[in-house]
Amino acid sequence: MKATFAVVKRLLASNKLSYILTAIVVLCATSSGDVVLSNGNYTWLLAVLTPFFFVCYDFTKLMHLGASKKDYFIGCLISYGILSFGISLVNTAIHLLIDPIDPTRTVINLMDVCRWTENGIIAAGFQQMFFLLLVMVFLHVLLSMQPHWYGWLTDAVIAAVICIFTPIAPLRGILSGFFRLIMLNSNAIAHIGICLLLSAVLALGGLAVLKRKTL
Amino acid sequence: MIELKQVTKQYGQAAVLKNITLSIDAPGIYCLLGRNGAGKTTLLKSIAGYQNITSGTIQVDGKPIATSTLDPGVSYIENFAKHFNLPVRKLLRIASQVNPDYDVAFASDMMERFELDGKKKFNHLSLGMKTMVSTIICLASSKEVILLDEPVLGFDAIMRVEFYDMLAESFQKHPRIIIVSTHIIEEIAKTIQKLIVLDKGSIRFFDTLQSVEAKAFGVSGLQKDVEAATRGLHIIGREAVGGLVTCYIFDTPPAPAASLEICPLSLQDFFIQMVGHKGGAAR
Repeated sequence: MKATFAVVKRLLASNKLSYILTAIVVLCATSSGDVVLSNGNYTWLLAVLTPFFFVCYDFTKLMHLGASKKDYFIGCLISYGILSFGISLVNTAIHLLIDPIDPTRTVINLMDVCRWTENGIIAAGFQQMFFLLLVMVFLHVLLSMQPHWYGWLTDAVIAAVICIFTPIAPLRGILSGFFRLIMLNSNAIAHIGICLLLSAVLALGGLAVLKRKTL
Repeated sequence: MIELKQVTKQYGQAAVLKNITLSIDAPGIYCLLGRNGAGKTTLLKSIAGYQNITSGTIQVDGKPIATSTLDPGVSYIENFAKHFNLPVRKLLRIASQVNPDYDVAFASDMMERFELDGKKKFNHLSLGMKTMVSTIICLASSKEVILLDEPVLGFDAIMRVEFYDMLAESFQKHPRIIIVSTHIIEEIAKTIQKLIVLDKGSIRFFDTLQSVEAKAFGVSGLQKDVEAATRGLHIIGREAVGGLVTCYIFDTPPAPAASLEICPLSLQDFFIQMVGHKGGAAR
């Protein structure tokens, strides 16, 4: 496990650019009007940026340092877990401490939009954490597949599903049902369970892609 | 132990490795020689599990090797390996953390010997120093198979001598299979035990240096005398200048005669004759 934690440490340390970009956006984003977006929402940017660095920048360098694919795989999952916890913690803190500062303005935080706060703030924090974990694992797998034909095929399928399912009402219902399940879900246990299950399935897919990855 | 059975690697229609069967079972320093494009890097990357082969099997210590092997137990370094842009000392420390049983003392010793500035960031190093850092990381790992792909690229003469010493010291400290691919043949001869010659994707030669010393000769003289002396011997090359002919053999040398000049071949000449090309054309 020592090697795995060394990989985790390196992955998190070499993700500085993501931290800086996210911090800049969170600190500098401004909204006007009576209804404004919470700056905490922008912490999610870190979940989107991180997989790019883990997949495109860190993998080759860690391999050249002698790390094994096994340690890289487990290290990525642990890092995503740590980061999703951290992002959730910061956004929840912003939601609790900064959003209510100006009572004259309505501040929209995605935790409210997704109806997670209906279950209390702690459950909402965990729902957010596992949703972000799912997002990061999904992006990781999608990015890992890009050098292969099946990566492009997956891109095309995702684009096709969105393009075809959105304008057709019955299909739109399926699509919105899926998003209600993974995102806009007020049932905390079901939501966390689905996010964990999908993350596990995607992680297994990611392992299969990693096993084909060349250097 | 490395075992390759009928290994073929194709890129589209082009076969880079052709039906290679090779067994390396004893620890030692092995030199992999071959012309540019002979398939050396492909062979080493395949043994390291960095890429898949088209057909055949590769095993290291009985474990099948492919990209799906999550921990192949092989340390491979290529000459332009990219690393995190961190100070050298920190880079070596991270390598020691991600590699179980990493030889920290060896890495520190080598860093001092090669006067590597531990505070200097990797991207600020010269090509030779970058290669040296990669090589130290590779040799300090505890893996039982070490693959070095053209490690002396960018080294000056003094660094190359130091490198060969480092290789020998590393092997003495931790005997294992070390395969070094290089183009600088004569310099590495003192360090290696066995020679692997790869030509156009096939193994042309795999034996000890002693066998080269004992069997590789050039026999020169008049055509009829040379032909008579080398009849039935394994001829690996032939040159004719005017009426004089030189036959290069890999066999028991013929009995000395006044009409013949028999000279042992240098490793480089042996290699040139084995791969059978000069100026790009097959003889």
